[in-house]
Amino acid sequence: MLELVDVTSFYGKTPIITNVSLSVPKGACLCVLGRNGVGKTTLLQTIMGLTTRLTGSLRVGGEDTSAQPTHKRAKLGLGYVPQGRRILGKFSVRENIQLGTFARGDGHHAVPEACLEIFPYLKENLDKRAGLLSGGQQQQLAIARALATDPQILLLDEPTEGIQPNIVSEIEHVLQRLNSELNLTLVLTEQHIKIAKKLADLFIIMDAGRIVARGEIGELTDDLLHRYLTI
Amino acid sequence: MSVNDFWTPFALLPFLNALIIGISLISIWLIAALGLTIIYGTMGVINMAHGEFIMLGAYSTYVLQTLIGIPFLLCLPLSFLILAAIGWVIERGVIRTLYRRPLDTLLATWGLSLILVQGVRLIFGGEPQYVGVPSWLNFQIQADFIHLSGLRLFIIVMAIVMVAVTWFLLYRTTLGICVRAVMQDKEMAASFGIDANRIYSLTFCYGAGLAGVAGSMFGALKTLFPDMGGGYIVEAFLVVVVGGVQLAGSVLSASLLGELNSIFSYFTNDTFARFVLFTLVVVFLRIRPQGLLAEKMTRR
Repeated sequence: MLELVDVTSFYGKTPIITNVSLSVPKGACLCVLGRNGVGKTTLLQTIMGLTTRLTGSLRVGGEDTSAQPTHKRAKLGLGYVPQGRRILGKFSVRENIQLGTFARGDGHHAVPEACLEIFPYLKENLDKRAGLLSGGQQQQLAIARALATDPQILLLDEPTEGIQPNIVSEIEHVLQRLNSELNLTLVLTEQHIKIAKKLADLFIIMDAGRIVARGEIGELTDDLLHRYLTI
Repeated sequence: MSVNDFWTPFALLPFLNALIIGISLISIWLIAALGLTIIYGTMGVINMAHGEFIMLGAYSTYVLQTLIGIPFLLCLPLSFLILAAIGWVIERGVIRTLYRRPLDTLLATWGLSLILVQGVRLIFGGEPQYVGVPSWLNFQIQADFIHLSGLRLFIIVMAIVMVAVTWFLLYRTTLGICVRAVMQDKEMAASFGIDANRIYSLTFCYGAGLAGVAGSMFGALKTLFPDMGGGYIVEAFLVVVVGGVQLAGSVLSASLLGELNSIFSYFTNDTFARFVLFTLVVVFLRIRPQGLLAEKMTRR
C-alpha cells in the first residue's frame, strides 16, 4: 500500500532522513516514534512531496510517485493532517473542508456528509471562520479536511499535540473507527506512548534521521522506549 | 502669487462637482490597480511592468480600432485576451523561474517594462496616437453642478463591473477557493491536490488581462504614447499598498485617495494635491504598514 525503499530526503542540500525503508500494508496502522527533531515530521512531509527532493523509491498503492509533485500525490489517496494543523484561518470551516475535495478524483466539491457525521461540532459551525476555532476544534477540522479527500492512507502528524484531554480521547476513537470500520491505512507520529500502543499495529522508532527499531506494536518493549524515547 | 490665487474658497456646487470628479478618479485608479492587486495578493509578485501592460492594452485597442476597424466595445474583451496571452508568455518565460526571489522578480519585471516601452516605440514611434471615443459615448451629463463626460461615466460603470466580476470569481467559484487557498498556504493547497503553478499562471493572465481592459479605456480617455504606463503605476501602487493588497482594501483605498485628491485639488491645485496625498500616504504607512484592511503582513 505504502512503501518506501531506501529513501533519503533533503531540505536544500541537507539530507534530513537517510536510507529509510518501510512498508505499510492496507488497513494497518503504523506509529512513528522518536524524540523531537529526529525526522518524524520530515518523513511525512517526504511522503507528501514537501521536501526539496528525495532519492530512493516511494510507492503509493503500487504506483511509483517519487518524482511526482505534491498536488499529484494528493490525488493518489493521501490524506494529510500536518503538524500544527495548518488550517486556513481566513477560510470558513466549510471552505476548509472543501479544500480537501480538490484531491478527489470525482470532481465533487461539496462537503462530504461523512466528515460532518464524525465531527458534529463542525456540522453546527460550517460558516464560522476557522481561525476562531480552538486548537482541538482545528485538529478535528484538519482531520475532516483530510477525510474529504476520500483517502486510502491518512498521514497524521502529532494529532493529539497540545489538545485538551477530552478531545484527545475523541480523536483517538475517531482514528480507531476509521482504521477498523473504513479500513483506512494510518501513519501517525505520536508522543503519547499510550495512544500509540492502543492504535498501532506496527511501529518504527527514528533517531537522527534513520529508523533504529521496528516491529509489531507488541514488540515495543520498555527497554526500547527507555533507550530511544526518554530524554 | 497671492493667497487667493492659490486657495479656492469653498462653494457648495463646485465642491460637489469636485466630489464627482473624484468618483471618476477613483474608478480610473481602481481599474489601474485591480490587476496589480490580484497578482501581488495571490503570487506575491510585484509586477513593475503593470503600467506597461496598461500601455500595451491601449496600443492593442489602437491597432484593433484604427487599423482593423473593430468597434470600441469589442476592443475591451479583445484587449483582455491579448494581454492575458502576453501575460501567460511572460509568466511562463520569466516570472515562473523567479518564485521565492521577490527582489529578482522586481528587477526582472522592471527590465521587462523597459523592453516593452522601447519595443512599442520602435514599432509605433514616439509620437502620440489616439483611440477614438465611440459616438454613443460622446455626450455630456450637465445638470446643475455635474459635469461628466459619457466616457468617464462609462469608466465608472466598468470599474464597478470589473470589481464585481473579480469578486465573483474569487469568492463564488471553486476556482476562487483554489486561488484563495494558494494565497494563504501554498503547501497546504498543494497537499490537497491544487496545482499552485497553474493557479499562478491563471492569476497572472487574469491580472494582465485586467490591465489590458484598463489600457483600452485609458487610451480613449487620453493620448497614447510608449511611456504612458508610468503615469498610472504610481497611483496604482499607492492604492494597492494603502489597501493592504486585497480586493476590498483596494476599493476602499482607491475611494479614499481619489476623493482626497479631488478635494485637495479643488481647494488648491492638482500638483499640490498630489504632494499632500503622497505625504499623507507616507505618514499613514509609517503608522500602519500593513495597509487599511490586512491583519498582518505575511511573507510569501
